[in-house]
Parts: sequence; C-alpha cells; structure tokens
Amino acid sequence: MTRTIPYLRRAIQVLSFCFLLYLILKTAFPLELKIPVDLYLRLDPFIGIITILTKKDVILRMLPAFGVLLLVMIFGNFFCGWFCPMGSTIDFFDRILFRENKRTKGFDDQPLRRLRYGVFFFSLVAGLMAFQVMYLLDPISLITRTMVISFYPPTIFIFNHLLPQIQKFLPRNPFIMSTIPLPLFKVNLFIFVFFVIILALGVVRKRFWCRYLCPLGTLFSIFSRLRIFRRFVTDGCTDCQRCVKECPVGAISEAAPQHYRQQDCISCFKCLECPTKAVSFQFASPHWKTEDRVSLSRRYVLGSLAFGFVSALVIKTNPLQTESGLRNNRLIRPPGSLPEEKFVSVCTGCGECLKVCPNNALQSTLLEAGLAGLYTPRLVPRIGYCEEFCNFCGRVCPTEAIRPLLIEEKRLLQMGVAHIDKTRCIAWDMEKICLVCNEQCSYHAIVGDDKKRPIVKEEKCTGCGICENKCPVDGEAAIIVYSFGAQKKLKPENAKD
Amino acid sequence: MDHDSNNKLTRRQFIKGAATAIVLPSLLSNQIFFYGSLAHAAEESDLVIAKNGTPSQLLQAAMAPIGGMGRFVKKGQRVVIKANIAWARTPDQACTNNPELLSALIKMCYEAGAKRVAVWDHTCDNYQFTFSRSGLKEAAQKAGADLFSGHGHNVYKQVEVPKGKKLKTAEVLRDVLEGDVFINFPLPKHHFATELTLGLKNLIGIVWDMEQLHKIDLHQCIADINTVRKPDLVVVDAIRILTTNGPKGPGKTEDIGEVIASTDIVAPDAYAAAFFKHPKTGKPFKPEEIKFVKNAYDLGLGQIDLSKVRVKKVSAT
Repeated sequence: MTRTIPYLRRAIQVLSFCFLLYLILKTAFPLELKIPVDLYLRLDPFIGIITILTKKDVILRMLPAFGVLLLVMIFGNFFCGWFCPMGSTIDFFDRILFRENKRTKGFDDQPLRRLRYGVFFFSLVAGLMAFQVMYLLDPISLITRTMVISFYPPTIFIFNHLLPQIQKFLPRNPFIMSTIPLPLFKVNLFIFVFFVIILALGVVRKRFWCRYLCPLGTLFSIFSRLRIFRRFVTDGCTDCQRCVKECPVGAISEAAPQHYRQQDCISCFKCLECPTKAVSFQFASPHWKTEDRVSLSRRYVLGSLAFGFVSALVIKTNPLQTESGLRNNRLIRPPGSLPEEKFVSVCTGCGECLKVCPNNALQSTLLEAGLAGLYTPRLVPRIGYCEEFCNFCGRVCPTEAIRPLLIEEKRLLQMGVAHIDKTRCIAWDMEKICLVCNEQCSYHAIVGDDKKRPIVKEEKCTGCGICENKCPVDGEAAIIVYSFGAQKKLKPENAKD
Repeated sequence: MDHDSNNKLTRRQFIKGAATAIVLPSLLSNQIFFYGSLAHAAEESDLVIAKNGTPSQLLQAAMAPIGGMGRFVKKGQRVVIKANIAWARTPDQACTNNPELLSALIKMCYEAGAKRVAVWDHTCDNYQFTFSRSGLKEAAQKAGADLFSGHGHNVYKQVEVPKGKKLKTAEVLRDVLEGDVFINFPLPKHHFATELTLGLKNLIGIVWDMEQLHKIDLHQCIADINTVRKPDLVVVDAIRILTTNGPKGPGKTEDIGEVIASTDIVAPDAYAAAFFKHPKTGKPFKPEEIKFVKNAYDLGLGQIDLSKVRVKKVSAT
C-alpha cells in the first residue's frame, strides 16, 4: 500500500495538470461547461484573501478557496504536492532536467526559508496597497497566464501548419477544416522567460520555487502548522535516515528523524516507506510548535513589510497610476471592469479573459497601465473587437474584476468612444465609398453624411472597436477608440429606431 | 425524331421530366401545388418570382418553372451555397437568411441527388456567434449540410480576375471554385454604403480580405468578383427584407413573402431593387441607380432590363 502512494501521487499530479489544460481549452465559445473553467483560481486562498481585502467586498466566486484552507488545516499542505499544477510542472522538469542533482549534500537553507516569509509579507502588504506583485507570483495565476499567453498561441501555430499537411492525405470533401485565427499576445516573451527562470531554479534545489518563493505555499505552510492529521514516529525508528533522504521538501532533519517540520511537509507520504514501519499519520490535536523553525526576527518581518509598503507607494505615485496627463487614453478595459484603481488591485492577471475572448481582443498590458497594472487585460481593437453578444470575460473572471454582466447590460456599457481621423479616413480624405465602419457598427453609432462620409454619434458608441478593427486603412486605423476614465451606462435605445 | 439535335427541345423534355420528378412526391400530399407546378413546367423561365406560401412551398414553386433543381444538380455532385450569415442577428431581424428556406434549399439539393451540400459564408461578426444566433447552423445541420465559415486563411485560393476591371487578383473560397454547383443565396437588404445589398454583393463574402475592396472601388469590385465563379443559380430570400440600418441592422423590416429563383445573376438584383425606396426621391430604386448592378451589367454578366428576361410570377398555394 505504502509503495503505491508515490505512483498515485504522480498520477494525480499529471491528471491535475491535464485537467487544468482541459479547463483552459474549454475557456472558449460556447462556454457551456458545467464546472467553472476558472476552478483552480477559485480554489486559491491566497488570491481569495487578497482580492476580498482589496475589493472590500465578498467575492462569492472565491469562497471555495477558504474550503481548501480549511482542508489544509486538517490534512496539512496536501495541495502543493498533489494538486498544484505549477508544482506538477516543476516536479516534471526537475525530474527530467536536474536528475543528477539528487540531494548530494545538504545545505543550510535557513536564509532561503526565511526569504519565503519575507516575500510573503512583502507581497501581502504590497498587494493590499494595490501593487500586484503577489499576483505575478501566485502559482495558479502564473501557470494559467503562462499557458494561455505563452503556450496557447504556439500550439495553434503548430496546428495551423500541420493541418494542410494532414489534409493532403485526406479526401478534400467533406473534410474541410479551417485553420484557427492565430491568437496573439504582446507580452508572451516576458511571461515565457519568467516561467523558464522558475523552472531553471530547480538546478539549485528541487522544487526551489515551491519551497522558497511561492506565496501560496507559504500561506499553506502557516496554516498547516495547525494540522490535525499529523506524522508520528514510534520507538521502532532505527535512525536509518531513509525518510530524510526520501523527503522531497527536506522537512525531516538528519539530526532527529522522529520529528518533522509540519509546515514544510507536503503530505506526500513517502516517509511511510519506513523499513520498520515506525512512521504513521494519525489524527491528533493541533500542535503549533515545530522543529527547526525559521527564525523570523522582528527586524526581518518589519523590514519586509516596510519594503512592500514603500514599493507600493512608489508605484502608486507614478504618473501612469495617477490622474495625470500621462494616463493612457487608449487603455480600454474589458466591458464591466471595476473602476481603474480597483481593477488593477483585484485583477490577478490570470489570463482567463484573454483566452475566452472570441476575437482575441483582450491583451495583457506590460507597462501601459503602469507597474500596478502589469498583465491586466485591455481591449486592443486593432487586433480584435468586443463581440456584441458576448459577455464571456465577465463570466470567467475568478475575482470579478470584470463584473459578470447580462448581455443586455453589457451592450449598453460604454468602454470608450471612437474618433475619426479625417486626414487618414479614405471617405473623408479621398472621397471613396467606404463606410466599413458604418456597416460594421452594431449600435448604429456611426452614420454617414450625404457624401457617405462617416460621423460618430458619441452617445451611442460603446467603444467595442469593431470599426477600428475593420478599418481598411493600412497600419493604424483611421478611426480609433479612446477611453476616458470610468465606464458608463448608455441610454437604451428602441430597437426599431 | 428529327428534332433530337435541337437543344431547346431536349432541354424542355428534360425539364418536364425533372419537374415531374419533383412534383410526383408532392402529388400525394398537396393537390393544389401539383396543378400549379404542372402548368409552369411546360414553359421555361429565367426568373421566377414565387409568392404566397411557406418558405419551402415558395422555393418549390419558384424552382419548378426554371427547370427544377434537377436542372442544376446532378447525381453525386457537390453543391456549394453562399448564404448570408454575416451578422450575429436573430432570424426575425432579417439580417441573415431565413433558416426554413435554407433548410428547404438544402433538402431540395439532396433530393436532386447531391452528394454533399456545403453552406459557406465569410462572416463579419465572429462566426460562432453569427452561426448560432441566426439559427442557420441548426437549420443547415438538421438538413444534413455542412456549414463552413471562412475564418481560416487555408480555405482560400488566390485567383486572377481576368475579366475584372479594377480587381485583378483575389483570394476566393476554394470550395466555391471547385464545387460542382454554385448557388448564390442572398437576401435583399438596405446598405448605407452601396444603397442595397443584393445577390451580386453577397459574393463579397467569398473573398478573404473583404474590407480591402472598399479601398479599391467597392461597386466595381462587386461586379468583378462575380466574374470569378458565376453562380449557376441565384435564389433570393425575399421573405422578409431589411429596409433601414443595413446591412447589420437591426432596423425596419418588411415582409415581402417572395422567393426569387433565377439563372441570370443580374436580373434578380434588378427586380429586388424595386423593393426599396430611394432615400431622396422616395420612389422604388431603378436597377441602374445601384452602381454595382449597372457595373455587372456593363461587364456582360446578365440582363438589367427585366423586359428582356423571361419573368414568371407564380403563386405557391
């Protein structure tokens, strides 16, 4: 029985990762899956705590995360080792890339273990003050973002190039399959490099990221000190050191294998493979005290807190984040987004909305919204426009930074307003019959004058950007959507008007 | 018979046969329809206007005098229908084809022996939304046809447009070029830029970069693109038309209740133009007032003058 546990764990890890990929693939039209496609994010208590504190409102979708936290208090940190898709990926790459690195010599990782708490306090304070560093580090948000932004487009690219080759061997009819419009994300390289660095850290130590940096892991660590399902070692222990060697997170010290650091234990149950069967896990009353604990000095904690506080302040006082003239007026937020300041503090940048957008209209920002808004979604009409009868982005947002709206509400929400550059418009400048923008507009917001030149009716324009998207002018369109602060509700019009 | 070499006569014989083939099954079910169709079958027409009836009755009535679907679709052939599914609108808004009529058209093709029917459009809104909201995906699939969207670049083929005046090359749906039978299935709509969307303009939806045509010269490009693959048959869905806010709507609609079948590709546009009133004069549009219709006529694609076409008006019930 105990021998099968490692295999079982591996299998569950693989399944969990594949399930995440499945959910990501299903984050698309028609979005009819019974399970929420952002399930993993909803189960992430770190995101749950921060978003509920920054939004100052209960987010119903994030409540399951606290159930996970409760389970951690019972069973210890089972999530990282069994279910975390990021942990699975890291385990996989550690196995194939850094195999030789198998615990040759132990080294004192006290400073690194301390760093973990430093990062946690830093991101906690910074996060509460709306600098979203912890969203960059949160493993679930990170892996979803990386998969969507960096790995999904190459997959489609390969598919599109293989398809014609495969089709050569098939009879043409009726096997007609269209290639898929290639999704494009501007920040894919940055996210890819960050991901590779995390995997490469495995060269220092296995699961380096999980042990020393991951803030979700740290949160679980803190709570799993209260675990009820605990490890016990009987007197049968012969001090053979086998469990010390086997422990993937080094939670059992060489000096005293009878004890372990319950906060670092990921409940992999490898130590159950004890030759004398001296190790067992049993339910018992919580035991806060632990062996070989990290010595967090007051200075260290206060230092991390202060660092987070000051960093957040510096970022908050950047002109991009304030009501200055530098505010980017082409930064159009998805329909139903919270007001900008709240939006950047609640959005985790997970990329779910980017994936679900049927027209690839949503893009991750890099610095357009300032550092606080790193990897938050924006509408880039030249790449894609906001589909009239689609409210998917609000439906998949785990933190409700994009509010879930009904289609009818969404159709009356103004994200921005289109403006015509008459010097570049071929109808105004060259007197051609074009009016593509008028033809495409879903809201009758663009009318033609008597010479068939387009004019925007601002009171009807929602800023969906279909006009900018379809404008036949080369390069930058001759009609451009600008945002101006908060999204506002438009007056409903009579359908037959 | 010494008339065997006479093309007209053999065709007529064939048409009679085909009409009988269509009519015979319905003989048992619909007595009135039987008499109406038999009367038409004797005479060949280029343009048939059917009125009064359900969509499938209208189509049956419109097709019979023109020779029935058997004239166009032979056994084992692939039929390609260019429908108008450009916008994510509901069927009652008349911005996309009537689902019942599409369904009837597909079934008619299969009855004539088609191997496979494919319905195509390069949609303007996202194809997933247009296909589901318009109800045409369901209708096409229930009738057994494949519904395809031209959103992928691989389904197009670059072609020269030798007869084109302004458009010299274009990327056109490969299936349209290679299909055995090509049916244009437009619906007349108001269109702000070109005044009207009619059958000729419907073929813009077989081109990859549609918006670029506006840059060249939209009216001439519409005519030019019709020279690439001339539809074998035009079936105009004028059951309900959109008279304002075209082409995307929603706008005012008008129930015309007609289905027009034609072998001439310009004539049905010339006829359907009169459904709409000119915004300045308030009188029905003359065909010459729609520039792309005039351009197509000038290219010799068909007849703009309805008096020179054999027009037949029939009642479906």
